Order: sequence, then structure tokens, then C-alpha cells
Amino acid sequence: MRKGQITIQAIVFLIIGLLLGAAIGYFIAPKPTGDIDALQKELEDKEAQLQQIQAQLQDALSQLENLKQGKTITIKVWAIGPDPPSEYRFLNFKLAAEVLNEMLRDLGSNVTIEIEGQFFARPIEWEQYRQNFYQSFAAGEAPDVYLTGHEDIGYLAENNFIIPLDDYIDKYWDLIYYDIFPTLWKSVEYKGQKWAVPQDTEARPLYFRKDVLRQLGWSEEEINALPEKIKNGEFTLQDLLEVAKQAVDAGLVERGILHRVKEGYDYLQFYLAYGGSLWNPQTGKMVFNTTAWELTLNWFYDAVYEYGVISPNQFSGDWDADFHGPFTEGRALFLSGGTWHKGEWIQKGLLTEEEFKEVVGYALHPAARPGGKPVTLSHPLVYTITTQAKERGLDEIAFVLVTLVTLPTFNSKHAVQSAHLAITRSQVMETQYSQDWFLQDVAYMLEYTTFIPNHPDWGKYSRIVFNALRAVETGDMTPSEALNYMINEMQAQIGDSVEFVE
Amino acid sequence: MSGESIWQKEITGEDIKRFFQFLFGALKDVFINLYNKFYDYGSQIISRYGSKMAIFFFLIPSLGFISIFYFLPFVLTFLIGLTSMDFTFQWNWVGIQNYIRIINDSFAPKILGNTFFYVFTTLSFFNVGMALVVSLITNHIPDEVGSAVRGIWLLPRITPSTVYALLWLWAARRESNALINWFLGLLGIPPIDWMLNHPWVIVILVNGFVGTSFGMIVFTAALKSIPEDYYRAARVDGASTWEIIRYIEIPMIKWPLLFVTAYQTLSLLTSFEYILILTDGGPGLYTTEVWSLYSYHVAFRSYGGTVEIGYGAALATVLVIIGIILSIIYWKVFKFEEMMSEPKIEV
Repeated sequence: MRKGQITIQAIVFLIIGLLLGAAIGYFIAPKPTGDIDALQKELEDKEAQLQQIQAQLQDALSQLENLKQGKTITIKVWAIGPDPPSEYRFLNFKLAAEVLNEMLRDLGSNVTIEIEGQFFARPIEWEQYRQNFYQSFAAGEAPDVYLTGHEDIGYLAENNFIIPLDDYIDKYWDLIYYDIFPTLWKSVEYKGQKWAVPQDTEARPLYFRKDVLRQLGWSEEEINALPEKIKNGEFTLQDLLEVAKQAVDAGLVERGILHRVKEGYDYLQFYLAYGGSLWNPQTGKMVFNTTAWELTLNWFYDAVYEYGVISPNQFSGDWDADFHGPFTEGRALFLSGGTWHKGEWIQKGLLTEEEFKEVVGYALHPAARPGGKPVTLSHPLVYTITTQAKERGLDEIAFVLVTLVTLPTFNSKHAVQSAHLAITRSQVMETQYSQDWFLQDVAYMLEYTTFIPNHPDWGKYSRIVFNALRAVETGDMTPSEALNYMINEMQAQIGDSVEFVE
Repeated sequence: MSGESIWQKEITGEDIKRFFQFLFGALKDVFINLYNKFYDYGSQIISRYGSKMAIFFFLIPSLGFISIFYFLPFVLTFLIGLTSMDFTFQWNWVGIQNYIRIINDSFAPKILGNTFFYVFTTLSFFNVGMALVVSLITNHIPDEVGSAVRGIWLLPRITPSTVYALLWLWAARRESNALINWFLGLLGIPPIDWMLNHPWVIVILVNGFVGTSFGMIVFTAALKSIPEDYYRAARVDGASTWEIIRYIEIPMIKWPLLFVTAYQTLSLLTSFEYILILTDGGPGLYTTEVWSLYSYHVAFRSYGGTVEIGYGAALATVLVIIGIILSIIYWKVFKFEEMMSEPKIEV
């Protein structure tokens, strides 16, 4: 027990000693000479300065490193055909980047522009392409440059996917943008701002087989005069049905008229020919013209059931077996298509350039009544810059590239290979473009062209139209039932976005 | 330097063998260690909290798996169904507005009718009916022939579904030289536009031929497990083949029959891939559109770029509810509890 007591005593002394020492130390310690707060602040200031200097030094060092090694800026571009010949919508960026890099090197810069991204072609269709974009956007991996149909602009702008480009366009106005066909600018405007740069445009001709008309007893002069007659309103939608029926009745062709086999916009031209319009730029609302739709539905019904010139399940068909095949093999007389189809037929080897010249003619879509105005529809594709490009600080560089590919040299590569029309006035005279007789031939159609609305609800309008036309063709609905369906669905789904006119 | 380094040495079979021995050995160690750890914790929990808690402990891995991959998707679908979500993937809550829209959707009754027609017809004619016929017939013919026939019936099941559907699409084309019309032509029947005039026939045939094989396998297995004595006794009593089928085989495979009926109902209710490829819901307005396809179309397909993921999810939720109701009905009417309680095949 003694041993234990000694230990406790020793511990107690030690603690007392420590406390004493601390107390003495506290009282005899030298007092600080100035205000302690001021000193503290000075110290913090010095530290902050040091950190700033360090950061600057770091920055300068990394810049030096960049200069030494060269800096690579990657721009991500997405474009779609879906027709394979339209690959220059994407490839042109690579070509433009090469030129730009050459220039940068010559100027002594170490910056290199690299293009990554993708050209989407069939079997990827528009729906999937759009879905890919929205999903990559949600993941923060959206492309910097996104090619899309001009009608998407309303939706993309409204939901903050893309940035307005007025300031960018103004900057390079005198380089190329002054030269773009003024009608095309209309297609990229939404709420008074420009949201995109037109990439291409096209017309939708009515193709016809000259050889079949010859067999029907048409003279060469009559055949060659047909586009002019249509232009002057002397050959109407009614005549179209009559001639198609003659060819079917004579056993020359299996089908009189072919139209697209999936949802799309080509068939809207018949509604436009009947005096319908799709939107009112004043109010910004879409337009539903009851009379024009009634006449259009009746025309389709007659074409299938009175004249037997359109197949009742054309809308469930296959692109090759029910569209390209029958026409290029001469088993159909008329085809409501687009200028790009010529490019597709040649590239697929369905027709050679010579055969096309020999057996295929093309005109506007006829007017509904004698003396009326014929129509075509354009669907310009456009380059947009995403808000994510701006967040990454790449919007300026992305726009420079868009500007470069808009130059006639680049754009003509695309236009010629895919049979799309020029977007700038000077492009019409551009060496490659001016040698393409077909593109020169159809250029006049742009004077008759119309666009679909840049409205966020356009997709619903389009789907209702497609459902109604398809139901009339298959006999599921009479034209009047289909009209009622359209009116009811439009009112129920997008009533606030549509103006109904008689 | 003399001698070859390890990188220059040629790799022999022995090396590969050793490598795999090492790999599997290591894997085995890891696995056994994990298992022991898990087992130790388990035993600790049993001793500390009793065996009831231990059940939960041992269920954790599979509960986690089930909730992530099975339960969560349904919860998400249900929640998205309460929004007006579109391509922007924003959760804009709209309450039960989507469900009100379903009630007012002028095509919902037609599509629901299509769905029940499709499920009922495919089920009764093929997935159960044809499956039963095939397994009964192949059970009553010599086994080698029977097996071969059943093997052939399995072919559509192992053909990639897109290829299989596209082949049908070509066979059923309107031209006189398409396969079906060519056959009919031999009999002097003029060509028929199958996809336009009889789309349901093709849709049901395609689904049915694939669906038959599942029931066929289950029924055949059940038939094979009926003891030979029953057949012998029946034959001694002078029973015909039909009587054997009627009074011995069908009663004995009652439970597999009910199971296949219930299982295939639910699977047909939600499957739409063949319809998508064959008709895409056409040829007219929603002619062959079924509920699940409608939900897909609304949520993901729009040429003009407008999609309604919220509305599509609400439609999908309705389908889940229909599935649950049907399951309960089957459970009650077919007395599934009784089936689950003890094996019904052994006699």
C-alpha cells in the first residue's frame, strides 16, 4: 500500500507543478506590442497576396506549357441524313477544320481544332436521332453543333437547348451571311430572333416517268411541256388522278401515284394546293383550314377508292419495295418525292445519271384548280449551337466552323452529292454546283416554296394529320369521319396553339 | 545478357494451366472468405437478436437486387406518370391529369379492346391451345418423331425475333409471288393483301408460333411425368386414346395448364415487339395497336419531335394495374395457392 500512496502523491505534485508553471509562464510572458487584430489581418492579407501570386504564376506556367505543347480544342458536331449521301453535313466540318488548322499554323498559333461527333444515317431515323440528342443533353454531353430540322427551333429555343445567334451572325454578316436567300432566314426565326444557320434546303418535286407517258401516247413535246403546264396551273390535281388512272387501266403500271410510306411532310403539299395554310406568322399560331383539309381528304379517298391509283396501304409500306423500287423500275407513273431522292437513286445504283435524264421528269406539285398556284414544300435543315457549347466556352469557335461550312465551296459538296439546293446566291454560280444540271433545273421551285411551322406543338399537329390520312387510305374512316377526328383531336390536344378557319 | 527474359519465353499449355489454377485459386479464396465473413455476421446476429432478424440479414442481397431492378422501375414509371415529362426530362408534376386524359382518350377503348382480343386469341389458339395439341400428339407418337417435331416447333423461338418477323412480312406481301400468295396461287386463289386486309391474322400467327413452344415444353414435361401404370391400367380397361387424353392426361396436367395460361397472359399483355415490326399498329388508325405499343408510341415516337413520356408512363402504369388485377383473379379463381403449396405432378 505504501508504494501506491507514493505514486498518488507523485502524480498530485506533478499536476500542481504543471499548473503553477503555466500560471507563472502566463504572467511573465512578453505582451504583444501592437493591436493583435491588426497583425492578424496583415498576416491574412499577405497570405492572400501570396496565393494570388501563386495562382498567377501557375496560370502563366500552364499557358507557357500550352504554348510549348500546342492546345487542342475539340468541337463536337452531330448531323443526320438519314439518307447516306448527305454525309457532308458532318464531313464538311472536318474539311473546314483542316483549313482552319492550316491557317492557324501559318499564323504561328499552336491551337489545333479537332472535330469529333457523328453522322447519323439509316437505319437511324429522325426520331432516334432527336432522342439521342435529348438524352445526351440531359447527361451534359450534348454536341456543340447540332443539325436539326428548322421546325424544331421553337421547341429547342423554348426549352433552353440552343442559344440565339443574332450577334454571331452579325459579326460575320459581310463574309457570307448577307448572301443567304432571304426566305431561308424566315425558317430559322422564332420570337423575333435567329436561332440557327440554314444548312441546306430542297424542293419537293412531283416526279413522273417519261417512258410511261410515251407509251400512253404523249408526244415528246407534250411530255417536256408538262412541268411548264403545271407551273401555269394548266394541269391540276384532278388531271393528275385522270392520267394516273389511264396508265393503270392501260396496264402500263401497277400504281399510278406513290407517296412516302411513313409520317412526314410531303403530303401537306396537297393541303397547301387546296388553299390551306399551316401557320399564321402574325399570331404565331398554327392554322387548321377546315375546307382545305376536307378537300384534301376527299382527294386522297378518290385517289385510292374512285381512281385506284394509290395503294390503300401505301402508308404501311416499305421504302424500297413500295417507294423507290416501283418508281425506278417503271412500275409506277408519279412519285411525290424530294430533290434528294434523285441523289439517293443514283448513289444506290437504282438509276444512272443517263437513265434518270431519259426516263424521269419532274415538276411542282399541281394546283388544285385550273389557273391556281402550284406548290412545293421546303424543309431547311439548320445548324444550331447548344447552350452546353456556351457553357463550355466553345460557342465562338463552333460558330466560326459553322460559318466556314456555310461557304459555297463546302456547302456545294453536300448540295451536289445529295441533290439539295443552294442556300446562298453565289453558290448557284459555284463551280461544282453550276455543273449540276438537275439542281439548276429545279432551282425555280424555291419561288413556290412554303415551310412548316416553327411551333413547339407542330409534332402533334403532324401526327394527327398522318393518322387521319392513313385511316382514309386504308378505309378505316370516311373523309368526313377523318375530318371530325382531326378537329376533335386538335382541339383536345393543342387547342390553344391552333387557329381554326373555314 | 545470357538466357531469355520471361517476356521472351514462349508460352506453353502448362503456363496457361498454371495461370488459370492461380486465378481460380485466388477467386476461390476470395469467395470463401466473403462467405465466411457473411456467415459469421449472420451467426452473431442470430445469437444477438434471434433468428427473425437474421432472416432479414440474409435477405439483404436479394432484396437490394429486387428493389433496384424490379421495384424501382415500376415506382419510376408511376412517378413519371404524374408528370408532363417530355424530351427535356423535367419533372413537371401534373397530378392525375394524365389519367383523366386516358379516360377521355377517344381511342383508349378501341386500343384496350384490341389488347384483350390479341391476348385472348393468341393465348387460346396458340400459346395454350396449340401447345397442348402439339404436346399431346407428340406424346402419342414414337418418341424420336415426337422429339423431332417439338424441336422444329422451337425454331421460331431461337430465331432472332426481328429476322423472324421480317421474314413473315416478306412472305405476307401483296404481290402474287410472295410466299403465302404463291401457295394460294397454286390452289387458284387470287393474291390477298394480308397486311392490309387481315393484319390480325399475321400478327397472331407470328406471336402464336413463337409462343406455342413455351407451353409445349412445360406440357410435355408434365405429360412425361405421368406414371406408366395409369396408361397400362387404362388400356387394360379398354380406354381409347381420346379417353386417355380426356380422363387421364388433361386432369393430370391441370396445374401446368393453369400456370402457362396465367404466365402467358401477363407476358402477351406487355409484349409488342412483333406488332411493332409487322404493322406498327396499322395499317389503318390503331387497327392493331395494343396498349403497350400505344404507350411506346406516345412516349418515344414522333416524327415531328413531340413526345409525351409522362402520358406514356401513365399508360404503362395502367397496364401494370391490369396485370396485377388479372394475377389476383387467376390466383383466386385457379386456386394458385393450392398449386404453390405442394408439388402437383408426382402422384
